[in-house]
Amino acid sequence: MRETANQFAKAGWDVTVVNIARESWELDSGIDLSLLEQVDPRVKIEELPLVREDLETDIRLYDEARALDPHGWVSELRRRQTQAFPEPNFGEWRDDLEQAVLRIHRKQPADLLLASCVPYVNLAAAWKLWEEAKVPYAVDFRDGWSIDVIDGVEAFARDSEEGRWEKKVLDQAVSLWVVNDPIAEHYRKRYPEFADRVHVVRNGYDADSSPGRVHNPDPESGLVFGYLGTVNFTVQHLETVLNAWRAARAKEPLLANARFELRGHIGNGANRGANRHAEILKEAEADGVLYGGPAAKAEVADVYARWDAMVLVLIGGRYVTSGKVYEYMATGLPIVSAHAVEHDASNVLKGHPLWTGAPGIDEAGLTESFVKAAHMAVETTDEEHADAMAHADQFTREALMSVAVKNLVEELAK
Amino acid sequence: MTEVLLVATSRPQFGVLADAVAKLNAQGARVHLAGSFHLEAEGVPEELVKVAVAEAHQLPRNLHHRSQALRRRVGKAPRGLRQWIQVKGDSWLRSRARRADVLVALDVGAVYTVWRLAEYNRTAPAKFGLAPALKAVEELRTQGGTTARRSSLLPPLHAVARDVRRGVDQLPGQLVRAATPRPVMRSGVGARLWRSAVTAPGMPIKVRATTSRYVAEGMQWAGRVSGAALTLADAAAKIPDLSLRANLYYEAVMQEIKKGISPRDLGKAVKAHLALADAEFAKGGTDEAAEALNRALFLHFHRVLHIDQLSSPLAKDAEGFVAPLHMSKAFQALSRPRGRRVPAAPLPGDRPLRLLVTTSANDNFLHLIKAHFADHPGVELRYLDLAANKHLKRISWAATRMLKDRLSDSSSDYQEEVERLMRPHLDWADTVFLEWAAGPAGMLTTIDPGDTRIVVRLHSYEAFTRWPHLTDFSRIDDLVFVAPHVKDLTTSLVPVLRGEQAPRMHFVDNAMDLSGFNRPKPAEARFNLGLIGISQVAKDPKWAVDVLERVRKHDERYRLILVGGDMDPKTSQATKEYLKQFEELLEPLEESGAVVRLGPTDDVPSKLVDIGTILSSSVREGCHVGVMEGAASGAVPVVRDWPFYAGKPNSARTLYPEDWVVPSPAAAAEKLLKATATEESWRAAGKLAAEHALTVWDWPVVKKHFERLFLDES
Repeated sequence: MRETANQFAKAGWDVTVVNIARESWELDSGIDLSLLEQVDPRVKIEELPLVREDLETDIRLYDEARALDPHGWVSELRRRQTQAFPEPNFGEWRDDLEQAVLRIHRKQPADLLLASCVPYVNLAAAWKLWEEAKVPYAVDFRDGWSIDVIDGVEAFARDSEEGRWEKKVLDQAVSLWVVNDPIAEHYRKRYPEFADRVHVVRNGYDADSSPGRVHNPDPESGLVFGYLGTVNFTVQHLETVLNAWRAARAKEPLLANARFELRGHIGNGANRGANRHAEILKEAEADGVLYGGPAAKAEVADVYARWDAMVLVLIGGRYVTSGKVYEYMATGLPIVSAHAVEHDASNVLKGHPLWTGAPGIDEAGLTESFVKAAHMAVETTDEEHADAMAHADQFTREALMSVAVKNLVEELAK
Repeated sequence: MTEVLLVATSRPQFGVLADAVAKLNAQGARVHLAGSFHLEAEGVPEELVKVAVAEAHQLPRNLHHRSQALRRRVGKAPRGLRQWIQVKGDSWLRSRARRADVLVALDVGAVYTVWRLAEYNRTAPAKFGLAPALKAVEELRTQGGTTARRSSLLPPLHAVARDVRRGVDQLPGQLVRAATPRPVMRSGVGARLWRSAVTAPGMPIKVRATTSRYVAEGMQWAGRVSGAALTLADAAAKIPDLSLRANLYYEAVMQEIKKGISPRDLGKAVKAHLALADAEFAKGGTDEAAEALNRALFLHFHRVLHIDQLSSPLAKDAEGFVAPLHMSKAFQALSRPRGRRVPAAPLPGDRPLRLLVTTSANDNFLHLIKAHFADHPGVELRYLDLAANKHLKRISWAATRMLKDRLSDSSSDYQEEVERLMRPHLDWADTVFLEWAAGPAGMLTTIDPGDTRIVVRLHSYEAFTRWPHLTDFSRIDDLVFVAPHVKDLTTSLVPVLRGEQAPRMHFVDNAMDLSGFNRPKPAEARFNLGLIGISQVAKDPKWAVDVLERVRKHDERYRLILVGGDMDPKTSQATKEYLKQFEELLEPLEESGAVVRLGPTDDVPSKLVDIGTILSSSVREGCHVGVMEGAASGAVPVVRDWPFYAGKPNSARTLYPEDWVVPSPAAAAEKLLKATATEESWRAAGKLAAEHALTVWDWPVVKKHFERLFLDES
């Protein structure tokens, strides 16, 4: 989103980004203000006082019904929210978002609206501006809507409310962006009439997140494996990875004093930083595992520079790519894949010289991967590391987004 | 100093808590923890030591010391209110709450308590979760670390008014309770008097219902479970309102079911729910009808009645047992076969058969089948575990949604969801083989399978559940049984299986690899009786002990070896009762070495080496795998004529060679003594049994049946 806005500004567009208030992001899994520093100063930001009511943690703001049954109250809230737009947690934002884009358009007429999802309620704003002022719009769907990328099944039927919204909005969209080929395939098959408007715009990585130099490990003081990203996988998934880590440490002398550092957000709302995952990581401290909390964007390159190998823990399967995979590749470090065998990340990593392969979420397989990565970390030459980094060059976010924005502008002109 | 009060109702994540408390302390806070989880439970004190709280206080953990009426009323209240009522009188909590600068709920159950405490302490931030608590302390630091305390001993006026209103609502209950004290209910005369009072003529409906509930509560308190059930049932019989009547009957029978007793008024309770379902169905209330019908089926097929007992009314007279259901209009709508638009397509001639093998988690009997067809050149195999995908799991056991769909003539959103999630699998497969005719069979037959052939295997327990009644068998092409007596029972229960739209029916033995079982036995094994699998009441291991005691009267060298995990007392009260009796029976025998418990094992063949006689003591079985494996090992089989099926055209006697089966423990002992009289006679009998097992049930034989089932057009 940030890179897209920057690319439009670079191309000479006057860009306004509609966002929710900073405090509202704080309520979610937290906020990294250093990201804002990289926004092109020409980009205007309009913050709306919208907040996810379900994540409220101030008990004084609760009425008695909510205090008595917090889960029940939130379920009822979610049901209510879907009356305005079929999306729990966000549906009720519809009216504010619609009014905001109309207001901005009145002040300074827009030539294009780009709706980035999630949340999907943004589509309602795009549609409103189209209905009222015929402002063309494009949809940046990232992981899509009608496909459940985690389980790989259709998320809702065509004649459901969501299905009708998706069809209506996509029918008139100038362009639809998704993050990988399987999702694009899903949309082309579902809506053959606008198959040619569906484009894959991969997530890519920020060049400044890469440590940018060849790394030299120090096995004497202990190899460091790292995971950077939101901890959004299941407890069982995490336990399998940690069990494999323990087994690998017991088996491989190179790993005997190794550490495994995890950075990123855990949990949200009342559970921020305090869910079962956090507890499991705490319990694993004796095995060299350390959870270091979220890392600010500005810190990322330094964090990667301290690590010797990456552990790519991902949910889902063939429909999921995740932005992490590109950033991990750009480090030029060995990568242990802890995700399903049939996963889009495997497609991206194919050909990467320091990839241990994807054995699936399987303890024995992952144990071998950790061992293999440890050897790769100490035995690989500087040239091989440089080759691995070069493998990622094609995926810098700037490169991907500049092309995507250029194509979108051309499509708009048709 | 910032005072922080943490309130927790369940055991917190101690590692995370320790980190957070360290951070709070570093910010100059003093942390007090109030917990209504057990602070002295195993492992907790050790964990608490690592959490640097200034003090940890045990809040009352339950309401056991409070009145029964309060507990009953609170039992239905939201969890938050229950928790508050439990802890609100705790003076430690109140004093710390008044002095706190930050109040924190650590879990959902504690939110209401903190919300109420915040009414007393009106300036302290009240937060839910550790991260918000840390932030609140951080913010307070900028203003000196403490709040300007304006706490008072009294909550605000609106809170007092609310509590007074609630107090008034409780008065009738208090009055009735005063008249139904424990000693009165303990005396038989008092209990009878009150029971007759709830049926007195002319009583307003609501008063009758309320009074009966209080009287039942008193009786339960006095240990009169059946009296409590009778009181509620008597009152229910006098209530014309169909919904209230059904509810009271439900409460009545559940009193006994919870205690593991087969309720005496079960029939009336089921009838009341069917009457309610029919009335709602007639006026178009399909949702309400489905709820009532679901409850009727839940009660009629409750596991306490059929699974966790040594007998079942269903086994005694299957047709008679389901007859009341078939008289209900709503049930008739449920069981109406909808058929399929097109028949299953013939086998593909030009490519391998696409076979989808599916189950919900339990794949115990699928391993050989999966392995065989995975390598079969004529088959392309896919396996789908419905329990491994949350969407499929959700629809697989959704009884009420299935019922709503059937009653609304297949127009519900359930239909749409099953269609969306299962159609891709049906489109791919030529044949679907569904293991277990339980919830997933109801789910799968919600939609027309198109031209895909549907094969379902019913083992045994499913016949005792409501699921066959939620399954549309007209959408199944082939129904596979593991034994003829299971087929007889199932067809007696489900009329569609006797009609024109019935699927083809087959018997195929369970897939078992018996090749590794036939190992030489030492001479001492002659005196070892074995029982494999004792984890359910239906296995009735007490029968085996009876047999053991009889043979030991002749020769003390006989021993009983029990292989397998024990029953789980948490399954039901009935299971718990059985287990208790069994353990009492076993204790002296184990001490003397007459019984040896080996526990669960992955290696049955090596355990069978020492077993000379294999027993089947069960009251019901589909096919008893343990006996078949035992026979294959060369142990002499002694099989109880399973009482659920004894005397019927098909039973253990028709499934096994007749001379394996005995009618009683006495006959079992006699047969056993005869077969093991000499080593020669024992080895000869064991050899015959092994030959039979290996020629009839071993996988090389059985796999041909499966190949025929899936790949033979005729």
